[in-house]
Amino acid sequence: MAYITGVSMINVDRHYDKGVKKLAAEASSKALEDAEPEALDYIVVSSSFTYASDTQLDLASYIASYSGFRGVRALTVEAGEASGLAAVGVAKSLIDSGLASRVLVVGVDKLSDRPTWEVYRYFSKFYDVEGEGIYSIGMGGIAGILMRLYMETFKVDRLTLAYWPALMHSNAKLNPYAMLRFAITPEKVLEAPPLADPITLLDSFPLGDGAAALVIEGSGKGNALAELVAVESATGYPSIALVEDPLRIESLERAYQRLTRKVDIKNVDVIELHDSFTIMGILELEALRLAERGKAAEAVSRGYFSLGGEGPVVNPSGGLKARGHPIGATGVYQVAEVSLQLAGEFPGLKVPESNHGLTVSVNGSGSNAYIAYLRSVR
Amino acid sequence: MTGLSVPAVWRGRIHRYRLVAGKCNSCGRIHYPPSHSCPHCGSRGLAEVELPRMGRLVSYSIVYSVPSESRSKAPVILGLVDLGVARVISEITDAGPEDISVGMQVEAVFRRITEDGETGVLVYGVKFRPVKEA
Repeated sequence: MAYITGVSMINVDRHYDKGVKKLAAEASSKALEDAEPEALDYIVVSSSFTYASDTQLDLASYIASYSGFRGVRALTVEAGEASGLAAVGVAKSLIDSGLASRVLVVGVDKLSDRPTWEVYRYFSKFYDVEGEGIYSIGMGGIAGILMRLYMETFKVDRLTLAYWPALMHSNAKLNPYAMLRFAITPEKVLEAPPLADPITLLDSFPLGDGAAALVIEGSGKGNALAELVAVESATGYPSIALVEDPLRIESLERAYQRLTRKVDIKNVDVIELHDSFTIMGILELEALRLAERGKAAEAVSRGYFSLGGEGPVVNPSGGLKARGHPIGATGVYQVAEVSLQLAGEFPGLKVPESNHGLTVSVNGSGSNAYIAYLRSVR
Repeated sequence: MTGLSVPAVWRGRIHRYRLVAGKCNSCGRIHYPPSHSCPHCGSRGLAEVELPRMGRLVSYSIVYSVPSESRSKAPVILGLVDLGVARVISEITDAGPEDISVGMQVEAVFRRITEDGETGVLVYGVKFRPVKEA
């Protein structure tokens, strides 16, 4: 058994005045409050961009000492965009195996320390650097190919796909930790400058810094926010060129299958998934079979995944699109958000009476996919 | 300078210059770039094959969000090209966004892919350009 007993998040933004260690320490202190170093068995740090932009190596131990936990066991987990949930998975394994009874997971990344044009180069490293990564795939090149293929294959128009970012912005308005807290119309998405056509700037995430932390314990159901029931994952093809059907995220389908074999998942009320680009959010909904293939965008446009809709509420935080995507920290934000939803304490858009939640994290176009199932303890 | 590694660029030259792919002796499928084992079935029995140089554009993206070293040639057209026996991701060259459409025929050509600043390594390899169909 593993329980989420403490969470904290730093608002995603351009924190020019704070470094990686400072952001991580602030999130850690808030999650742990006044815990003594001895009361912590492990710190698991998730960070990805930090490594791609060669700043600090052995980040976990420097965060540990900087945060007042010198002596604790510490390790860093890197799995590209899926780093955060990979770290949560490692932490849960430490708890389940009995090696640890209390683990701090802290996810942190800073995008604002580098100019945008450099950030784009680092983003291409989510993909195979010896394959398609030799070309200028930039931010969204591969997702752009997928989006056009989706539109052509399923005869879905660009405007229908623009309802996703509009929903994300609407959801984020109340989230104090979100980077973009303003509404946009679907038409506005089409008018925005192109990023990787047919993807526009408003189909993608803002470049911000963030840190989020979780305390995971083997006991302590009494004061827990939620139970972390299971974390599963699967690796996938290194390129969409190799997949027979590029519009299937095969790694996520497999991870989800592993999860449902392990645990009986009841009606899911709330999901935080990895919408690095509109098309990724849409394909993930279809991989989880929450919509028929080719139909997810239309379901989004008619409010199926909105609060009060027939389906589970998807990304009440605003998702990567509007909350933001501080790469290695994102998966940790998602688990924190779903835990707070299940405890009825999320400070943004609340999903009332939610008892079952999922979080989904994917690197690139699916080289790796993670999924977590959380349950209310109320 | 982007810090490209000269040995790493050199190691990839053969498949990048000649479109050399891996063919699985077990399941028969072909993948590019060549891997240590078949990405489909996991078999380590692989042969090298050169890919056909003519194909069709399955989908594409017009990429504006490129790194600093590619800014002068932005937007870059990135395509998913079907060569019949395999698909590849490549850059579409010698054409502007207005010349591109899904399903069009494209052919492999040898081009400069990137340059690492004034004094760094030059990377050459295959790109694809539209073919005027008769």
